[in-house]
Amino acid sequence: MQLHLRERIADWIYRAKAPETPPVVLVQRRIYIVPTRHGYLFAFILVLLLLASINYQISLGYLLVFLLASIGGTGMLHTWRNLAQLSLAPGRVEPVFAGDTAQFTLRLGDTTLPRFSVAVRRSQGEAEYADVPQAGTATVALPVAAEKRGWLSLGRLEIFTHYPFGLFHAWSYVDFGTRCLVYPRPDPGAGPLPVEASQHGDGTSMIPGEDEFHALRGWRPTDSPRHIAWKALAREQGLLSKEFMSTASSDLWLAWEHFPSLGTEERLSKLTFWVLEADRLGLAWGLKLPGVNIPLNGGDAHRLACLEALALFQIGPAAA
Amino acid sequence: MSTAPDQAALKRGNVLWLMAAMGFVIAPHAERLPLWVSATCLGVAVWRGLIAWHGRKMPHGLFVAGLAIATAAGTWLSYSRLYGRDASSTLLILMLCLKLLEMRSRRDALLTIFLGFFLVFTNFLYSQTVLMGAYMLVCVWIFMATLVGFNRVGTEATFRERALPAGRIILQAIPLMLVVFILFPRVSTPLWRLPQEGTTGRTGLSESVSPGDLNKLIQSEHVAFRADFKGPIPKNDRLYWRGPVMMDFDGRTWTMSPFPGILTMRTAGIEAKGDEIDYVVTLEPHGKTWMFALDMPLILPSDGFLQSDYQIRSGAPINALRRYEMRSALSYVARRELSPEARRRYTTLPLDSNPRATRFARQLRTNNATDRALINAALLLFNQQFIYTLEPPVLGRSPVDEFLFDTKRGFCEHYASAFVYLMRAAGIPARVVLGYQGGEINTVGNYLIVRQADAHAWAEVWLEGEGWVRTDPTAAVSPDRIERGMDLALGPVGVLPNLIAADKFGLLRQVRYTWDAFNNQWNQWVVGYNTDRQAYFLKGLGIDSTDWRKLAMWLLFGGLAASGLVGAFLLLKRNPAVKDPALLAYEKFVRQMAAVGVRREAHEGPVDFLHRIEREHSDLAAGARRVTDLYIAVRYATHGAIAKSDPRIDQLRAAVANIRNA
Repeated sequence: MQLHLRERIADWIYRAKAPETPPVVLVQRRIYIVPTRHGYLFAFILVLLLLASINYQISLGYLLVFLLASIGGTGMLHTWRNLAQLSLAPGRVEPVFAGDTAQFTLRLGDTTLPRFSVAVRRSQGEAEYADVPQAGTATVALPVAAEKRGWLSLGRLEIFTHYPFGLFHAWSYVDFGTRCLVYPRPDPGAGPLPVEASQHGDGTSMIPGEDEFHALRGWRPTDSPRHIAWKALAREQGLLSKEFMSTASSDLWLAWEHFPSLGTEERLSKLTFWVLEADRLGLAWGLKLPGVNIPLNGGDAHRLACLEALALFQIGPAAA
Repeated sequence: MSTAPDQAALKRGNVLWLMAAMGFVIAPHAERLPLWVSATCLGVAVWRGLIAWHGRKMPHGLFVAGLAIATAAGTWLSYSRLYGRDASSTLLILMLCLKLLEMRSRRDALLTIFLGFFLVFTNFLYSQTVLMGAYMLVCVWIFMATLVGFNRVGTEATFRERALPAGRIILQAIPLMLVVFILFPRVSTPLWRLPQEGTTGRTGLSESVSPGDLNKLIQSEHVAFRADFKGPIPKNDRLYWRGPVMMDFDGRTWTMSPFPGILTMRTAGIEAKGDEIDYVVTLEPHGKTWMFALDMPLILPSDGFLQSDYQIRSGAPINALRRYEMRSALSYVARRELSPEARRRYTTLPLDSNPRATRFARQLRTNNATDRALINAALLLFNQQFIYTLEPPVLGRSPVDEFLFDTKRGFCEHYASAFVYLMRAAGIPARVVLGYQGGEINTVGNYLIVRQADAHAWAEVWLEGEGWVRTDPTAAVSPDRIERGMDLALGPVGVLPNLIAADKFGLLRQVRYTWDAFNNQWNQWVVGYNTDRQAYFLKGLGIDSTDWRKLAMWLLFGGLAASGLVGAFLLLKRNPAVKDPALLAYEKFVRQMAAVGVRREAHEGPVDFLHRIEREHSDLAAGARRVTDLYIAVRYATHGAIAKSDPRIDQLRAAVANIRNA
């Protein structure tokens, strides 16, 4: 109920607000503070103690009540200060496939004070806690399940804290418009690549295997570590796509029309699998979707362009 | 909600802190608690320790509930009730200890801490001394530090990370506490009726006196009350602090009149025959209703009333420090007519309890023509044949007879009792008065300390035309006792006076008086800060405390001012030691560049800035590159805070200093 109300207030505050440019510093007026349930319980206990002090005429009881009340009030300032002037910036987020988890991050830092138990959560999400050292930074990981292809928006974040006494809930909102590109979920049910169908007259299309060294190409997470070219890495030469292109000469077109009987999402999933497969085998390929035509090519940049086209098919790139 | 905060409740460090806090706050109760309660608490603590350190399972909730019912039953058996100060404190202690076995979430832990503040309060029901106040402040500190620990999620707080924030916040809270303490309106009547609590463990006078009662009190160094005189402190032999008045005698024990009449000061018939003395009494709690005043009182405290035997009583037992202003006449006439009924009661003696004394009194009656002469003859007898001693022989079935004719050694209550017996047997109305005699002057604070050791018993006789006249048979036996005090009459009593007697230069006495004077101030201004005291203090500040609206306004302003002060301190406080040393060095470099004409734009990062220096000031390019590389390496390629000892910082500083030579 309380959460729900807070969300609605936040919606109202954020109604017309555009995503902000990082870094955002939590200045005074963006921090809100209310007592927690424990804060109300504490206040109730103090009322009981005050009644007892009045009734038993215990002067030190009065002192105790007023000391605890003052501690509560001062604690509120400290809770508030645990957020105030904190600087926030989003971290890079790598594209993921639908069904995976997008790893958003938020960097907290540039603080003149150490901060303890600062929590970050998406609306209705699990809170992640971090301590920020004095003059240092802390990074909070915000894993979000990517359910469908397209843009996965991190949305508005609530940054809150109960430190030091748990009597007050101080919070603020920030929305950087951070989003993660989600590729369609690769569907292995796509079957083998349509290599034969697109074969040319010369008849000797290379069927990739693991027997001989052919060319260097960019590393991908699916590769075995045994295949990494360490020397090239040391020389900081990641991409050698030209040599690779010349070898894979067969015209491999991965096209929408290969799956006539399927719906849009199924087709995209199967095409995604093919793109990955073609790339894994070091082939050159082209992608044809309604309204999208990516010419024959190979390598990381090409693969990423294809995946992005699949991810954003009929969604549109939307200004990033 | 999230489960992460709940894990904090089960962390060993947090559990240890909570147990320590409970231990500290329960400790002052320990001497009062039944043994089985202390044993239960210790057992629970050990058990909870095993759970925390050896990963034992928490007991089942039903088991803990059973334990709670069992201990509640035990409390009932020990105190035969569950309410009242002793029983409810015990019950609270037991329930909070058992809560440790049932603490599964952060909510449980926080609730335990909050209820722990009630335990702090229960200690004040027994003692409100400076030491107790200071000790409880430490307890609050430990509780708050524990609370900090439970509110750290993810990481566990170190000792300093608990103790320092809690201590700092307590210090910052004190100004507001003082403002509210001073201004919060005090109510002089209780909100609900208090259960009458026993007076266990309190020393003091009681409703009855038999031979041997007072010499137990004489050993006690406990302060009965303190008196602050407006004028000079009267001489010791004039300081008779009137307490409970004994009317009925059963042959051995004197008891108070169960149904005394009530007088007003106008009907009391007390007439001052000399100076009127003004003073303030700060009475330590003694659990009884009588209030002490010098013989004879001329005014009454606001909640006191006067009995027909000139005893001042309070409406409720004095269980907290009470401060009241008094005025007395040391020379007086208490000329009140005695009704036939009263005369009969003040001459009544149990039949055949002390036959020899009765015969002796009749003999005195026939030998003396007037009451005055009779009294003098009796006093002369005490003076010539009796010895004043702290260790009188034990008396048997007829104590007055045995004392008067066999042992002839006694303490003040023996003399008062025997004297009043003789007077009554001779037909003169008489009664025993208990109270204190004299006191010790605190030369540091210039006030009088009256201790239990000053307890005294004397007699009052009613004479035709004169009314009630005080007669102190002890003065006839041992004039020193009355003129110069207990210690000089009998020699030092107890350990402390022995130490003081050995203290040739008076240093120890000075320290003791200073400490007592400090306690007195504490009692006057903190413990005794009641409606009257508040009105007096606020009047000095120009605040009318009777107008609650004004008081509320002052409270609001004062509270805002105090919290505003602390708030401003917190918000404006810049921490000077926090600037990143790498950034400082780099800023120096930026200033150097600005001096040679390359000003860094707000949007320029270090690398962009370097490129511009290379273009605009190629002679400094090499030095600038080295500075920039080091700066980026230190500041952006380091995880977490930069260590002050990082050698690259020194390299960076050197690079900035030698920028032209690179």
